[in-house]
Amino acid sequence: MAVDDLSLGFGELTVMRHITVEVPRGSITALVGPSGSGKTTFLRSLNRMNDKVRGFWHQGSVRLDGRDIYGRDVDPLVLRRRVGMVFQRPNPFPMSIEDNVVAGVKAHRMVPRRQLRDVAETHLAQVGLWSAVSDRLHDSPFRLSGGQQQLLCLARALAVEPEVLLLDEPTSSLDPRSTEAVEELVRSVANGLTVIIVTHNLAQARRLSDYTMFFYEGRLVETGPTSQLFEHPSRPETARYLHGETAITSR
Amino acid sequence: MTALAVPGASAAGRVGHRRRVRNVAWWGLCGLGLSLVAGAVFWVVGAAIANAVPGWRWSVLTETTTGIGGGLANTIAGTAVLMVGVGIMAGLVGIGTGLYLAELAPPSRVVSLLRSASEVLSGVPSIVFGYAGYVALCVGLHWGFSLLAALIVLSVLVVPYVAKSTEIALNQVPLAYREGGEALGMAPTYQLRTIVMRAAAPGIVTGVLVALAISVGETAPLLYTAGFSNSYPSAHLTGVPVPYLTYATFTFWDQPTTTLHALAFDSAVLLIALVLLLVGAARLIVRLTQRHAPGDHHGLARHRRRAPTLR
Repeated sequence: MAVDDLSLGFGELTVMRHITVEVPRGSITALVGPSGSGKTTFLRSLNRMNDKVRGFWHQGSVRLDGRDIYGRDVDPLVLRRRVGMVFQRPNPFPMSIEDNVVAGVKAHRMVPRRQLRDVAETHLAQVGLWSAVSDRLHDSPFRLSGGQQQLLCLARALAVEPEVLLLDEPTSSLDPRSTEAVEELVRSVANGLTVIIVTHNLAQARRLSDYTMFFYEGRLVETGPTSQLFEHPSRPETARYLHGETAITSR
Repeated sequence: MTALAVPGASAAGRVGHRRRVRNVAWWGLCGLGLSLVAGAVFWVVGAAIANAVPGWRWSVLTETTTGIGGGLANTIAGTAVLMVGVGIMAGLVGIGTGLYLAELAPPSRVVSLLRSASEVLSGVPSIVFGYAGYVALCVGLHWGFSLLAALIVLSVLVVPYVAKSTEIALNQVPLAYREGGEALGMAPTYQLRTIVMRAAAPGIVTGVLVALAISVGETAPLLYTAGFSNSYPSAHLTGVPVPYLTYATFTFWDQPTTTLHALAFDSAVLLIALVLLLVGAARLIVRLTQRHAPGDHHGLARHRRRAPTLR
């Protein structure tokens, strides 16, 4: 994915200014920065989830395989199948566990009906849930723990075989053990899948990502390989944020 | 008791006492409200049953009305036909209206005008609908007392309930479901059908149920549009009057024979039984559609629902 001089906002409000960045295929990129710095808005603009928000506008381009995703000929429904998303809080649908996993697969008629169960098994196994839920596929997903629900949502997103996966603070509502499970999964799927993850947890960004983007007040302040950005930040704002200072802008 | 020795504890005790009194008073008022409602229900149901049981004949369910006696079979059939007809007509129009208002309508002045029009409609007395229907359909279109006129008038009467409850139910579907569907690239109509409508189903079903219960219990608009007859309802949409239960309840009591008085009470009991049946059906549908919904899976809601103990 390549973002070129992207600015976006709602009505008169400009949320992000002049973002230019390239996300290499198959990498994990972490988006960090203080609350309100525009990380989530930026993430949601990568699969056009902002389109329906009133007053949303954008300038510049976001390209996937060289084509502008905001182009006239691009169907957002097809785009979102290629660029999946998992949210901050687990949001299983009010249907059985199995139906949840295959919800997207069914919607896009990706496989014949009788193969749906296999698809469900494959992806539940992929996220490490199969052994826990194999005997209650027809139960409500809301009986699962929060961490299991989030893994289920990941399975649902992975089942439509996206090329890019956007994660919006996927572990912020989970306990440490579930967080570990999600992180492990992200690491394992990243082979071939491009992952972009918003996180408030700097340690997580450091553990997980190949690249890190630091956002501050609607600008992309700094981006680079994670180890370099954490150990030798080139901008003073980045260094201050990483050191946990609240006053990031120099006075 | 040692706590009382602590300085300031008696003041705290007074506050605690006052709070307890207020607590008891509020729960008392709530309990009183509930018992008034429950009391009224038991009184009405009890009175109807007490009056119906002594003279009950099973032939009431098989014989038709004759004008001086007979049974209620034709009125039961007529009410059932009306109920099914209203369910289809008002259900489709009402759910469609609610869907439009909640999902499709752009926020504009025209739409809010439409919405308040629908709300005003629900405030119009039913006898006014009856008379309007009589003038426009039975007389104006020469339909006479007829099934179609009755169905249209009853449907107009209850569509606002169905529309409102559908709209509210759809608006209460969590954004997270919609976003989840969107993020998977689901088409809006597909998402509406498979996720949103399913989550809204209990509210919609309840709305349709209330509509059916209202239409089953209506009398005034039917006196004007359905007329009455001693035969079974026919397949003719116009020109043939329709018998119905509430007619028996409303008019037979004024008649000079005891047989008809008994039939009036019988019809009242049958109406109540019908409403109970509707409530039961709605409960069942809600439970079936909500077995995968978030909620009372750990008995949490049950604990929460229990009134706090007054200690």
